[in-house]
This record gives sequence, C-alpha cells and structure tokens, in this order.
Amino acid sequence: MKPFLAALALALPLLAACGDSNQRMVNNDEYGDWRGGVARNRPRGADAGLVVFGVDKNREAREAAAAGTGLSVNAYLWRATLDTLSFMPLASADPFGGTIITDWYSPPGAGNERFRAQAYVLGRQLRSDGVRVQVFRQVLERGQWVDSPVSNATNSDMEDKVLARARELRSQSAAR
Amino acid sequence: MRKILLGTTAVVGAALLAPSLAVAQEAPTVRIGGFFRVYYGYTQQSGRNSTVPYTTPTGTAPLSGNLPADGNGIARLSKHDFSTDGEVHVFVNGKTANGLTYGAVIEIAFNQQEGRNQVQARASTGKTTASTDEWYTFIASPRFGQLRFGDEDGPVGGLMNSGVVTNFGTGGIYGDRESFVTRQANTRTTTSPGALNDNTKIIYLSPQFFGFDFGASYAPNYNEGEDTGCSSNASSGWCDASYAFTGASTNGIAFAGPNQSVRRNEYQIAGRWRGSLAGIGLSTTVGWVGAGAARELTVQGTQARVFNNLGVFQVGAQATAYGFTLGAQYEHGDANFFWGNTLRGDRAMDQFFAGLSYTAGPFSIGANYVMGTFEGASRASFSAASADAAPGSSGLTTPNAAGAAMMRRLGYGIGGNYRIAPGMDIVAEWSKFTIAERGRDLDPQQLGIQDRTTANVFILGTRLAF
Repeated sequence: MKPFLAALALALPLLAACGDSNQRMVNNDEYGDWRGGVARNRPRGADAGLVVFGVDKNREAREAAAAGTGLSVNAYLWRATLDTLSFMPLASADPFGGTIITDWYSPPGAGNERFRAQAYVLGRQLRSDGVRVQVFRQVLERGQWVDSPVSNATNSDMEDKVLARARELRSQSAAR
Repeated sequence: MRKILLGTTAVVGAALLAPSLAVAQEAPTVRIGGFFRVYYGYTQQSGRNSTVPYTTPTGTAPLSGNLPADGNGIARLSKHDFSTDGEVHVFVNGKTANGLTYGAVIEIAFNQQEGRNQVQARASTGKTTASTDEWYTFIASPRFGQLRFGDEDGPVGGLMNSGVVTNFGTGGIYGDRESFVTRQANTRTTTSPGALNDNTKIIYLSPQFFGFDFGASYAPNYNEGEDTGCSSNASSGWCDASYAFTGASTNGIAFAGPNQSVRRNEYQIAGRWRGSLAGIGLSTTVGWVGAGAARELTVQGTQARVFNNLGVFQVGAQATAYGFTLGAQYEHGDANFFWGNTLRGDRAMDQFFAGLSYTAGPFSIGANYVMGTFEGASRASFSAASADAAPGSSGLTTPNAAGAAMMRRLGYGIGGNYRIAPGMDIVAEWSKFTIAERGRDLDPQQLGIQDRTTANVFILGTRLAF
C-alpha cells in the first residue's frame, strides 16, 4: 500500500499537467468551506473583505471594467495617433479629452517651413471617423513665420495613417 | 527505486519552479473578512436536565471536573437562548512572476470551548476566547494544481463533497443547531463531512481538466496547532504523536474539549466531476478516507490493537437547475458515529444524506435529511490483563450486551433565509435529530432505560458575512 501511495503522490501532479487546453485552475472559492459556507455567503466570494495591506488588484480590475479601459477614448486609436505623430515633438496629450497637440517641427532639409498637428480621438469605438487630424503649416518669409495653407489631402492622409496603424495594433492584440 | 524516485521528484520540482508563463508579479495583499451571526434558539431536548455526563464505551470517560463539588447538583435548563458566534479571517494572497499564486489563510474563531469550563471552585476558562479554526498556507500553479499545508478540511471532509445540500438556513441538519443542544445523550449531528476534522494535514488539489479534478491529503494524527499536545512534561496519550498509550481504547470517539482521538495516519482521496448537461449543472464526488489507530498500551508495556482502521467510502451527486439543487450522498465503511474508530468486532457504518434547496432572488429555502446506522456503544471492552496474558491479541473481552444493538441516527432540517443586503441574511430553521439504540440507556439520570433521545431546535436570527 505504501509504495502505491508514494507513486500516487508523485503521479497525481504529473497527470494533472497533461490536461492542456481543457485544463484550468480550480479557484479557492470552488472548494467547500465547511461550517457555514462562509466564502459563498460573502458579497463577492473570496474577493470580499477589506484590504489592509497591499494593492487590491481585483478591485483595480473591477473598477477598470466599470470604467472601460481607463482611457475615455478608444485605446487603439489613441495609441495609433501617438505612434503616427511621434516624429514630431509632443506639446500636450490628454487621454480623457482625446486630444494630442504637437509642437512646431521642421523636417530636415526644409528649414524654412514648419508643421504642427492637432489630433482628436473622438470616441470609444474603433471606427474610421473616430479620429480627426488637423495639420498647420508655416513658412519663413523675411525672418517671420507666416501661416500657410495645407491641402485637405494632408489631413486625410494623416488620418488614414492613424487608422492603418490602429488596425495593425488591433490585429496584433487579437492574435495574442 | 530510490534513484527513480529522486529523478521523478527532480522533474516535478523543475516543472513546478520553471517559469512557464510571463505573468505580472503581484505583491501580496492582506485581506480581512469573516462572519458574525446571532440567533435566537428554542430547544426541546431529551435528557436536557441530566447532569450525568454521557459515556460511550468507545468514547469519553466521564470527566467529573465540571460537576458541582458534591456530585449531586442538578440543573434545569430553559428552552430559550441567544447564541452569538463569529470568525475573523485573514487572507494573504500573492502572485509570482511565473504565475504561481501563494498565500495563507488564518481563520480566528471565538468559540474555543463549547461551554465555560469550571476548573476549580473559583476558577474557570472562558468559552469565547480566540482560537484558530482553519489556518494553512498554499501555493498554486494553473498547471500543477494547489498544495495546502496546515490545519484545513480534507478533500473528503468538506473541500470536494457533492450532494451535501446545506445552502439554506444555517445548513439544516448540518447547520448551527449544535450551538443549542447540550451534550447529554449526544443528540448532535457530527457525522457531516466537515466533522472529519481540520487536523494538520498536507493537501494536494489538482487543476480541473475535462471537468475532473481530484484531491488527496495526509495527516499524521488527529490534532492541530503548534505544540505537541502533551499536557504536562510527561508523555501521555494527549501528545499528538503518541501511537500507543494507556487508555486509548476509550478514545475511539473524539474527546470534545481537547480535540483528541486515536485516529492516526489519516489519508483522504477524492475525485470530482462537474459539468452541465442540457442546462442542468451536475457535480459528483467519489472519495475515500482511511486511517490507522493508536494502540492501547498496558502498564506492563503490552501493545494491543483494539481498533479497526478507519475506512469510509463516500459517493455523492447533485444537480442544479432553475434555482433548485437536489443532492444525495452515501457513505459506508468502518467508522463509528462522530467519525470515530470502531473497536475490533464492531459493525460498519452506513449513512445516507439527501437534500433539496430552492433559490429565487434573495430567498433560499431547503430541507435535508440524514439517516445513519452505527455501532454506537461497542459490544466489547478492553482488559489489560487479557492483553498481557496473550500478547498480540486485541485484549478485547466482556461482550457488552447493551452495546450489541445497532445505533440509528436520524435527522432532518428545514429552513430558509432572506438576503436583506449583500452578505447579510435573516435565517429561520427547524431541525430534529433522533438517536436510538435498543437496550441502551441514553439518559441515565431518569429511571428505567431511555433508549431513544431527540433534540428539536428552532433557530431564528441573522448572519453577516464580510
């Protein structure tokens, strides 16, 4: 009997490791808690109670779930906009309002013109009209920066780039 | 064999410790929870006024220390009483970078004794002092399961049972009724899975795969907590690790106060399947609890195997649908009531449990029923002289005519609760438990032989879990 038990003691964890995709961890609140079923009666099962030390990850997760992702705008569009405009110095970025404003930037080799961009991420949904980019351009005339028009195509091209990048990010995270 | 064992252990060790997943490490949190409950109880109980401590041939010897000094005092007990109980639980939980979760659970109870124990005329120990219920540490991996080490119920004794429907009232016949029943005649249930005891053990609990999970545990003896249990600086049967001691034959049934019994080398194995078929949630469990027993030791030094090994097979199943839960459990094997070891020659136990509950929104109602047959009083008793005369024999002699009959234990409970706020319930419950053993006097203070004893308990109260 004893060798059998010893073998069993070794075999059980190894056997348990064979499950793979049909396998999952059994949570602590799935075991009986004798004398009163205390955990079952708690408002939130084993997650209940007052955290007196440490960071309550479950609470963070709950609050994040309640508030969406923590960003008040679509995370993919936000990330993609930041990526796309990253070649320019950033002046301000507000994830709650969904605005990104860059500082003036002169492309190398074009010292007498400079650009600035404002991007607005408009909502929670990942949709093609969820982002708006406005590019401003100034040229140097007689030592003075003077506003100069930007073609409409520039703005929509930037938006397309943001959307493409967002799609990329989305598919990457789906694959994970 | 040794090489193989060492090799395998190394593989297991490496696999357990290998960082298989990249999971964010989480610093441990310390959480406080628990419960508190207050009940009103109305109790009708046979032999409630008896001051003669109830004895069982395989159980506790009468302890005169708690009796009035002259030994003749009597008392009359009211049927009405309030009862409070609570526990404060501390949970420590953390997660390592490789996905292992770990932590500890410390449950502080305040019912260290069931009654105030009169030690001397002007000295007593309180009944609401703090003590520990369960406390254990655990380490768990999604791939290899969980290891719990400490004072905790076993897989068969509470962790993985199916069919024990107690999710209403205070638990029906397995509920808090024992808070109101006095010990005379032992009209207490105490054959529930949880009554198997949370003695210090090591428990392995597997992950679930294809709906199956299983568990196994081992405990060297019946006791728990820090010290050796030796009550003085002399070794005795109170020491946790004693495997033979004088007086063992009267310790088959656990002592109430010191939580001591002859059970040794206890192991539990349970397998459970959970799943759903056509919208009905199903759960079934098959389990086995086995244990050896301490031997009787005569003053001459003769060891006598007076007890059967404990060995009980358990099977249970339950189904849940549309708010209803229906369950049943059957147990058979060598054990006496209160999960005690039987003396050699005693009969095996059988116990059947069934329960039904219904939950609709904040309301839960239910009923459960338990029926068991046990040896009860043993038919033999130990004689040191005969054990010394024939070493190797059990030393059991003198068939006890009053103990030859079968003990029947029958109980049922019906109850409900209403959730008035998250975690807070109002509960109401009625339960009845009857013990009968033909020819045996269960209330020795009354004239004649009372071979049947009953306790009815009605409970109305509130319970808060936090």
